[in-house]
Amino acid sequence: MANDRHSAIYNARIPQMPSSRSRFGRAACPLFIILLLATYSAAAGNWASADEQLAAKIASVIGPGTAFIDFANRSSLTRAQTDEVRRGLLTELANHGVRFANAEQAAASVKVTFSEDLQNYVWVAEIHQSSNESAVVMVSLARAETQPAAHDAPAVVIHKALLWSQPDRILDVAVIDGSPAHMAVLEANGVNIYKLQDTRWQPEQSLPVSHSRPWPRDLRGRLMLRKDHLFDAFLPGLFCRSTAKPPLALTCYESDDPWPLGTDQFALNAFFTPARNYFTGALAPGVGEQTAAPSFYSAAPVPREKYTLWLFAAVDGQLHLLDGITDQRAGKLGWGSDIAAVRSNCGSGWQILATRSGSSSNDSIRAYEFPDREPIPVSDPAELDGAVSALWTESNGATAIAVLQNSDRYEAFRLSIDCSR
Amino acid sequence: MKRSASALIAAASVLIAAGSMAATRPHYGGTFRIAVQAAPASLDPADSSQPDSFTRRNVSRLIFDTLVDQDDRGILQPAIATSWEPEPGNQRWHFYLRPGISFHDGTAVNSDSVAVSLRTANPNWKVFPTGDSVVIECASPDPWLPAELALARNGIAKREGGKLLGSGTFAISHWNPGKKLELSARDDCWRGRAFVDSIEIEMGRNFREQMIELDLGKADVVEVAPEQAHRAATEGRAVQSSAPFELMALIFSRDPQTPDEARQRQVLALSIDPAALNNVLLQGAAEPTGALLPGWVTGYAFLFPSEADLSRARQLRSEIRYAPSWSLGYDASDQLARVIAERITLNARDAGLSVQLTNSGTADFRLVRIPLASLDAALALTKLAENLKLPQPKLASDTSSDLYMAETSLLESKRIIPLLHLKITTATASTVKNWTTGRDGSWHTQDAWLAMEKP
Repeated sequence: MANDRHSAIYNARIPQMPSSRSRFGRAACPLFIILLLATYSAAAGNWASADEQLAAKIASVIGPGTAFIDFANRSSLTRAQTDEVRRGLLTELANHGVRFANAEQAAASVKVTFSEDLQNYVWVAEIHQSSNESAVVMVSLARAETQPAAHDAPAVVIHKALLWSQPDRILDVAVIDGSPAHMAVLEANGVNIYKLQDTRWQPEQSLPVSHSRPWPRDLRGRLMLRKDHLFDAFLPGLFCRSTAKPPLALTCYESDDPWPLGTDQFALNAFFTPARNYFTGALAPGVGEQTAAPSFYSAAPVPREKYTLWLFAAVDGQLHLLDGITDQRAGKLGWGSDIAAVRSNCGSGWQILATRSGSSSNDSIRAYEFPDREPIPVSDPAELDGAVSALWTESNGATAIAVLQNSDRYEAFRLSIDCSR
Repeated sequence: MKRSASALIAAASVLIAAGSMAATRPHYGGTFRIAVQAAPASLDPADSSQPDSFTRRNVSRLIFDTLVDQDDRGILQPAIATSWEPEPGNQRWHFYLRPGISFHDGTAVNSDSVAVSLRTANPNWKVFPTGDSVVIECASPDPWLPAELALARNGIAKREGGKLLGSGTFAISHWNPGKKLELSARDDCWRGRAFVDSIEIEMGRNFREQMIELDLGKADVVEVAPEQAHRAATEGRAVQSSAPFELMALIFSRDPQTPDEARQRQVLALSIDPAALNNVLLQGAAEPTGALLPGWVTGYAFLFPSEADLSRARQLRSEIRYAPSWSLGYDASDQLARVIAERITLNARDAGLSVQLTNSGTADFRLVRIPLASLDAALALTKLAENLKLPQPKLASDTSSDLYMAETSLLESKRIIPLLHLKITTATASTVKNWTTGRDGSWHTQDAWLAMEKP
């Protein structure tokens, strides 16, 4: 814990509140900023000092000799970050004469846990020696409030690859792997099939969709690749099913059946309001015992060890977290209407892609992780040349489709997560 | 949330026709009807004769401001005081007051009234008004004084002719002690007017009655018993939970008098399986713990194991020559406490101990629920020890290491066996919007509002 947490502090005045102690008011701002910067600086990866301290504390207990070192992460640090800390700590321990051995051969065993409290990272070493009782040593360092990654090298990067661009509204895109690869583009009047030929998508087939009811404004739709046939298309009040093989045919009928929100791995369906642009909140089969969420625009799963936490970007402007028991709100995150989960080899293995709220004509998408109940940004925002009109996780779970609307065209991008840099 | 403007216009026209244009902008007006179990006889924040409870804290915060606020991360924020500083040694502190704040009768909140209020709540402090600041001198160095001033019990109150006045968002309209409280929103509140016009709080309602009132539309916000939180959610209710912040623990009335007695307490601790209590009796709504403070507050709670070890318990039991039968006290009005106490007697029997339940005040040990005082770990630990009459932890600083050692020392006294950290859960009617519960169980009423019509 920060030693200065309770030492003298001058708080910035609330704006517009007059103060007769202007001397302190003036002093408050720069000092506050300095403290803030100092905090961010500590959280920005300046872990060498903490590594050094923890190594010294461990070495003071076990002395030079062989040790088995084990690590566990209970904090919001990403895998890349813990790797960096781990390397630093091992280097420091080696400098203290500690040699590393496996558990059977080591004179001491040390379990280092990266944990955190409300404001700090807390790194704990539990030390066991055959001759002595166990000992615990720990160090802590401040962590940034909500955006540690913003002051660090981004842990992950969002890659976006342009798939298709056209003047008509694109509702969703599905890429069908194969030789050659195909692509299905869902739009208001049907599904267009393209074939990859000489690195270019060439039109192959057009499958019209007929509907009796007028489409709502801000039309939305989703494509899902299937195993026993090629794809399903979900539109407000309408369901379409393709045949399995070319030449394809599309059978559509009016239906209020629920739309899939996740992937095969994390299956959850929700009823879409036929005359609106959002889901009613009724879920099938539900999140645990919860069969209803607030009305929402989009949803994304966050896999946990024993359950799946579902995030809902609700119509009420808030992010709701359903864990099968409770519905928690994540406060004011500044997220937009559209979120999607993407599986990757980075961090916890799953990231949430979220648009930014606001009325700017250009959107951005950022990757987050949910180590607990609050999102931690793990990428810089990917700035987009337009407004996001659709964001869906692809059927494979590893990529997402984002559709941008700019002045005169719609562009579909495939988004993926990369942390290999 | 962003969707295209044209779509919003189209959707809005339909929503207006449906009479429920509710989504984005909060409505002003209406009355929050809240039902609670607690039935405090006094609203005075300094009245130490009243038992501490989350309800009491929340009600107090509606009426009274504190010098300092604490946000959801435990960081202190200015409230009536805009800034503060200690003199060297942390025994004397200066708090500089925000001008322009008034009590509900229109009189100014100034250094004199603040000093009087704080002296009433803390007779051991010396509090001096000095112009636009107050100086507080504690009996001993107190680096946690600002955090302590954020506690509801240190709400600034003006006591005049039997009337209680605060400077908070709501003023008291009607008060029937222990039964009903009516509050009205202040238009001139320095924090900004609340969205609702008034709040009615019905007190002394058990959880079942509260849920019925919610179902009948007679209450907008009710408390949910921890063991009912899961069911309330599965029934489709809108429920909000805090982080696990209420400690459920066994407290022994005195230190162990012999090594055998200490060992017997160890046997009891090893025989109880908090995870099973949580899974079976609470449907997973709590957090099993071997620590006094939750891990999300300290970061080190995992160092205190909470798992039962029956074979070790039996082995230790076999080493005790004489293990007298114990009595376990609990709050008979607390249904959860009763079933957990019953389970503990069974666990103890499995380990070879005899434990009898009792409602008398002279039990050998008691099952208690303790609302943690603060998100500040050091202050929470200090207050916990104070409330349970345990030896005060020796905290040289608020580093994690010192906190861990202090907590270890308290646990090694074998006076307390932590079991669970409970969440504080509320359920709200569908018309209640933006009602949130803080990590510490605090109601965030300032941003909550009522939809004019039910969907």
